[in-house]
Amino acid sequence: MTDLRRYGTCTLDQDGCATCGDVGIPVRVVSLSDADEALCEDRDGRRAAVAVAFTPGVAPGDVLLVHMGVAIAHIPQDNA
Amino acid sequence: MKYVDEFRDGRLIRKAAEEIRRLTKPDYHYRIMEVCGGHTHSIYRYGLKDLLPENVELVHGPGCPVCVLPMGRVDDGLMIAEQSGAILTAFGDMMRVPGSKGSPLEYKARGMDVRMVYSPLDALKIAEKNPDREVFFFAIGFETTAPSTALTLMRAKAKGVANFTVFCNHVTIIPPIRAILDSPDMRLDAFIGPGHVSTVIGCRPYAFIARDYGKPVVVSGFEPLDLLQSIVMILRQLNEGRAEVENQYGRVVPWEGNLPALRAMSEVFELRPFFEWRGLGFISQSALKLAPAYADFDAEVRFEAPGIRVTDPKAAQCGEVLKGVLKPHQCKLFGKECTPEHPIGALMVSSEGACAAHYQYTMRQSELDLLEDA
Repeated sequence: MTDLRRYGTCTLDQDGCATCGDVGIPVRVVSLSDADEALCEDRDGRRAAVAVAFTPGVAPGDVLLVHMGVAIAHIPQDNA
Repeated sequence: MKYVDEFRDGRLIRKAAEEIRRLTKPDYHYRIMEVCGGHTHSIYRYGLKDLLPENVELVHGPGCPVCVLPMGRVDDGLMIAEQSGAILTAFGDMMRVPGSKGSPLEYKARGMDVRMVYSPLDALKIAEKNPDREVFFFAIGFETTAPSTALTLMRAKAKGVANFTVFCNHVTIIPPIRAILDSPDMRLDAFIGPGHVSTVIGCRPYAFIARDYGKPVVVSGFEPLDLLQSIVMILRQLNEGRAEVENQYGRVVPWEGNLPALRAMSEVFELRPFFEWRGLGFISQSALKLAPAYADFDAEVRFEAPGIRVTDPKAAQCGEVLKGVLKPHQCKLFGKECTPEHPIGALMVSSEGACAAHYQYTMRQSELDLLEDA
């Protein structure tokens, strides 16, 4: 399984200056709670609910980049 | 291959630095602007400047929304929240940003109900839990952040939440780049395009930079090797007489961007005719406001924004630094009146502002001594 740091070094605890727009926290999808939300885990094992309205077709194991609680990029498991 | 081997491997980094050296012509001074505050931070943090030949200069761009927000907008937001008795919600990065009568944190110390939120969705949750209170969200950020505000407003509308308003200060990245390109003192050769803004807007919006201004653009990741590879790609373009948009950060940035996020933004926002940027002045169509369909959630419609204008100190040379005409330490106030503890100019405000990053990472004791002696 690819190291999440391939997609960035931020974690759910340490996200630098988020508004500057450079922050995309790489997390792996653990499970889908409903159509618009997924439980995700960062590389430290910390979990959070993430809105996935902008990343359709998300599946457990996929990598997401999360900004302000919302996934903005989706790297499907096959490529992750 | 492990991540560290890929993007922080000393051998690969040295190889990229050698390639940069090989591609540079000794008799030309290259000036490359990194637009994004996150790139500025990485360049300082990893000391990338020291790996580059002296004639390859990285110029720090306007990519810090906190830094470019005029003080008057901070005052407007705080005043609306204070007068309406609202709970003010804002990102952590906004808490220290000074208005003319103090920062949100200082207002909190004086008794205002100010709450830091991680996501605008959390601000909406606060509104739902406090139906008898007005909840005001101070929205700020480029296109990376605007989708989260858009999603929050779509949910607020669907749920019929009546006590939630947004003070919209979202800005867009393309107009300030155009303003910099149109500036008469512009002396840039190429741009390192922002990483995560581009996950949302894609690479197409930069096409005019290559087409109309003949400058290469390479969208880049944030790791040391990402940035060095981007500089290699830029130098190859310059040497071959090409001006194109290229994507070094393909592992994250799709060429077309994030279409569902763009659709949400176009539903919720519309362009403001003009917006003031600290250091750059008024730039047309450079910011977002809520579309009429979301007027019920627009703090500037629901409450009257005073429209306060605060002039920055004349001695602060933020505009010149933002446009790459001056280096941070060449500003008269840098490190003297203007420090990260007491920011006067826009770029010293947030940790990723060009001046704050320069201060944090490159101010050696000898330089500090010189400033004290001056």
